[in-house]
Amino acid sequence: MSKLPSHDLDETVIAFRQAIRAWLAEHWTDADREANRRRPLRDRRWNPEFSRKMGEAGWLGLDWPKQYGGQARSPGEQLAFIEELEFAEAPTDAHMTAETIIGPAIINFGSDEQKSTFLPALLKGQRPFALHYSEPEAGSDLASLRTAARRDGDDWIISGQKLWSTYGDRAAYAILAARTDPAARPKHAGISVFLMPLDTPGITIRPSMAMYGRTFSATFYDDVRVPGSALLGPENGGWKVITSALAAERVMIGNTVAHLQHIFSKIVSHVRDLGDGPAALRHDPLIRDRIGALGADLEAARQFTLRNANLVQSGHVPIYEAAMSKVFVGELQERLGEAALDILGSGGLLSDEAPSAPLGEMEQELRHSLMGVLGGGTSEIQRNIIALRGLGLPRMSS
Amino acid sequence: MTVQLSAEETTLLIDSLRRLLEDGWPVEGGLERAEDVTAIGQLSSALHELGLAYLGAAEGPGLAEALLIFEELGRAAAPAPLAGALIANLLLDGSDDPKVRAFVEEVQAGQAVPALALGAFDGDRFAGSAAYAPDRLTASLKFVEDVAAATHILVFVSEPSGLAIMPVDAQGVAIVADPGLAVPALSAVDIAAPPLLWQSLSEAKLADAAQAVRLLALARAVGAAQRGFDLALDHAKVRRQFGHVIGEFQAIQHKLVNCFSQLDGAKLLLSSAGAAHDRGDEAWRVLTDAALAFSGPALRQVALEVHHTLGAIGYAEEHEAPRHFRRIHADLLRFGGTARARAGLADYLLRPAV
Repeated sequence: MSKLPSHDLDETVIAFRQAIRAWLAEHWTDADREANRRRPLRDRRWNPEFSRKMGEAGWLGLDWPKQYGGQARSPGEQLAFIEELEFAEAPTDAHMTAETIIGPAIINFGSDEQKSTFLPALLKGQRPFALHYSEPEAGSDLASLRTAARRDGDDWIISGQKLWSTYGDRAAYAILAARTDPAARPKHAGISVFLMPLDTPGITIRPSMAMYGRTFSATFYDDVRVPGSALLGPENGGWKVITSALAAERVMIGNTVAHLQHIFSKIVSHVRDLGDGPAALRHDPLIRDRIGALGADLEAARQFTLRNANLVQSGHVPIYEAAMSKVFVGELQERLGEAALDILGSGGLLSDEAPSAPLGEMEQELRHSLMGVLGGGTSEIQRNIIALRGLGLPRMSS
Repeated sequence: MTVQLSAEETTLLIDSLRRLLEDGWPVEGGLERAEDVTAIGQLSSALHELGLAYLGAAEGPGLAEALLIFEELGRAAAPAPLAGALIANLLLDGSDDPKVRAFVEEVQAGQAVPALALGAFDGDRFAGSAAYAPDRLTASLKFVEDVAAATHILVFVSEPSGLAIMPVDAQGVAIVADPGLAVPALSAVDIAAPPLLWQSLSEAKLADAAQAVRLLALARAVGAAQRGFDLALDHAKVRRQFGHVIGEFQAIQHKLVNCFSQLDGAKLLLSSAGAAHDRGDEAWRVLTDAALAFSGPALRQVALEVHHTLGAIGYAEEHEAPRHFRRIHADLLRFGGTARARAGLADYLLRPAV
């Protein structure tokens, strides 16, 4: 595979990379990878059994503090780890949200009971989570969400609708944002967050096929009763939980960068190995220029990721830096998807199951790339965050 | 092996340089001063006193620190002829030839100020070339910087590979200024004369030195772009139109955010390449190409957006912004620019599989 230079700067990182590589060679073999490639696209990245295997082997919670069962690994080790998983095409979606978003949210805001109930299970890869944030009238403007939670004794009764929940039809739990004080001003001051078992009576999940070839779901809450212990963080203090979790999600963009590296490597290796003589694709000046430009952008994406991981490691929550990385990587994902089709020509239009496809999965990559720009807060919203938090520009006055 | 400064030492050095530039190279009249050889000479002397002629020397700061210094020079739009000193130190410090070593000592003492002519190693196909036969240097070189304030030219020679040291005022040296976007002007240099000194060097060493020069130019462009961006951001926070500060409008906010991200990416890549060089990581060459390939279009877009934000206010030559616009373009277009860097990356990525 044609790759950019390694950023492994010390022996610890190199050794850790070798350790995960060795483990993958044994537990995610070439035969497993080939079998996975033959599964429908929607199923390829979701494999609870493999997530549990990773958990049992102690590969989850690498960045969690040691007191919660984590390993407090360095940013370099974490990035090496996710690169190896991506390069091996290992399926990680069944635990990814739980490990990187929910776990840190519980560590930061959860009760002792929540910590002891959830964290060990998350570390074992046994609690697939979905996000229940967006609603029909609350996408980018999340603070306008209407799903309501009202107290009934020690319990909460929840009513409303959530949209666009990735893997919402497969997860066992969701982190739910609901309005607990309709009169609160500003609007985000009246929101609370709950840890919801998705088999609770009154919850209806309707999956639909998203453009990227996997499902996302609408979820209906019809007077769903949950105990008070489901509340994560303070009542009406959910905005901080959500924004911290979203920032963590944006830091998680490192997974996307590793994925893009893998896709880029496939494209470059294909160009390198195709044909002979002066007319070979690798000598085409336009294609070489495109590869050089994308390689540079990808290196910039790696640098953004490294910087953010270092900030997290030093105890800083990278708000605007994470937003910047999210915008850049999301839009790079689109550029890479478009470039793949330009380089492959008509062959790029073919899905990986097509017998004539020169290089599988590329048109799916393009379809998927929109998710990088839209999901977890659109690029426009990220730019607003950077303008306010990073540049100190003023909000629009009335 | 250069000396790695601690974070505190680096901060001290940069703070001292910034103060020196604020006093010695103020914004007022900067464009005219950039064409004044006497003023550039005074600036050069002041920088030597700060110890900057030791950049790249065995006991001096390394490339990473040099990049920070060039960023500062870019911020101040100060055309200090320092790149020649760095390359003299990198290539000639420790030479077997006592006369060459004596020349390096003159550079470090500020008595000799070398300009650089990269010739066939420049990266620009029209930069010319140089050949050396015993006691004779024949060269036709273009796009040479710093000549007006220099005492010598370090000529990169391809046939055979080595470095010729040529006094600018020697017989057989013809220098013609080529004015344009770059201020001070670049020069064309023709030489048909014996060089003062000759140092045989491998092509690889010369190619590496040229790559280091590209990073220096990028660092200066980063500094210029950062300063231009700071001006635009400050302007957006106070300029009122349609009853609002213009920084409230999303059209302006997103424009500035894009610049902020592009600058941030350029700085991260620049720093990564410089650090890789100083720790002896061979990847520094490809990381340099990545930095150049990314930053070329990114910073030129920043230069444009700075002016879009400043509007007609920034369009007057007496305003500070135009000199940064000039600097950014002049530094990013040279030495083969983005196209050469992308080609370098493509070569690396498309190399035969092992």
